[in-house]
Amino acid sequence: MNCQQFHEVLPEILENGGNEEEEGHLRACPDCAVLVQDLDYIGTQAKLMMPMHDPSPRVWEGIEQSLRREGLLQEGRTPRLGNVMVLPHPAQNWTVTGWIMAAAAVLAFAAVLIGYHPKLQTGEFSAQNSAAPSTAVFDGDDQQVLSQVSHQEPAVRQAYETSLREVNAYIVDARQAVKQAPEDTVAQEHLADAYQQKEMLYQMASAHGLQ
Amino acid sequence: MTKLNYAATFGLAVALAAPAMWAAEVHKEARLDIAPGGSVNIFNNGGSVNLHSDAGKQVVVVYTMHSDKVEVDQTTTADKRRAEFRTHVIADQKPSPEEARVDYDVSVPKGVGVTVSGATATIVADNMSSDLTLSTDTGQVTVRNVYRSHITVHSVAAPVTLSNITNGTVDVTTSTGTVEMTSVFGPKVKAGTTSGNITYRGDCAGGGEYSFATHSGAIDVLMPETASVDLSAHTETGILQTDFAFKAKDHNYFTNKQGSSFSGTSNSGLSSLELRSFSGKIRVKKQ
Repeated sequence: MNCQQFHEVLPEILENGGNEEEEGHLRACPDCAVLVQDLDYIGTQAKLMMPMHDPSPRVWEGIEQSLRREGLLQEGRTPRLGNVMVLPHPAQNWTVTGWIMAAAAVLAFAAVLIGYHPKLQTGEFSAQNSAAPSTAVFDGDDQQVLSQVSHQEPAVRQAYETSLREVNAYIVDARQAVKQAPEDTVAQEHLADAYQQKEMLYQMASAHGLQ
Repeated sequence: MTKLNYAATFGLAVALAAPAMWAAEVHKEARLDIAPGGSVNIFNNGGSVNLHSDAGKQVVVVYTMHSDKVEVDQTTTADKRRAEFRTHVIADQKPSPEEARVDYDVSVPKGVGVTVSGATATIVADNMSSDLTLSTDTGQVTVRNVYRSHITVHSVAAPVTLSNITNGTVDVTTSTGTVEMTSVFGPKVKAGTTSGNITYRGDCAGGGEYSFATHSGAIDVLMPETASVDLSAHTETGILQTDFAFKAKDHNYFTNKQGSSFSGTSNSGLSSLELRSFSGKIRVKKQ
């Protein structure tokens, strides 16, 4: 079983547990294990956060749409993830707090989905991946940075894209150098510098986001 | 239509448009009391910010708005230790970049710190003795004739130029922008880029620490023969060139390697100069 196949049955696994093959993949694949762990955690926290209020169908629809966008849920399959968070109390009118908590849960869930990028083995690239736009080189955090400057002038957005691409290359190079010579002080300094550069970009983009 | 008619039509259009343009451009002036050692914060996405010191005890801000789709909010804390000017778009307005720009001219008393944040805004700080924290994405940053100050510059792609900085603590970080320093010296001068080139012209005076690092940009240092520096230069995959008369050091935390690593001193090695690139070229030359 590969990651793609695992994702297709993930909602069922979350509710009922998996069969031997699925459990075997979960043990062997740290990426999928982390994903399941995160989803379980969010489900548990959501229960604790909203003990008195049954979320509206819109919340589940939002989660379902996120799952579909990420390809974790196929058309025709009933999303059962919502059942993980079924609450014992009868539905009541939503309070402001309830809405905020539900929104926080959805955002946390979306963040996990967006930030989740399983490592594909050589030859495992799907047609879907190969057709992905150039922004696919950016991870979830980078995408968030780019969304924070999305309202800025095109030249600014382009500057962030270029800078993120180049700083990611810097990190890759520096990591490689540290890996080859772990005791090399200069390589370590390069790695620290690279992350410092990236941190600056994140901070500057965040400042725009706040404004 | 004859050429004369074209000219007349053009002239009429200009004559009609000009008053409208003037009407949209609004100049305002604000004078705020500021406590000694206080700070002024300016948030201005587009346009320009010109900073200079003033002998008075007030912050004087003259700003020009180019449309009525933006406004400037100003606030001061009760203790007068912090003043803030913030350009923002008026709700439901969608100004063009030209309409959104605001040009600031700011005079601050000596010793009052200034923070400027922008996106495309150009920033010029001239003739100052104030701590400066300047941040812009793509606008040019120019700092000159600044004395005894902490200068921090962050940019994404903005070119950064510093000149005649005396006894300053300088920290410049830019991703793809270039950094040009001329006659910049102080106890700590640091510049880092991802791909932007770094150029330093001067003698690294003052017994300070000078540190320039980049991933793929070039580092060029041009010094007079009298410069007294303790140099450590290292590039992973780039090229290191120097025509400066250094006395090679026997021992350093890396081994001297022809064309990629070198450590040595010139004169008495008063200031430390550390140059580090991953793939960019490093050149140390006589000025």
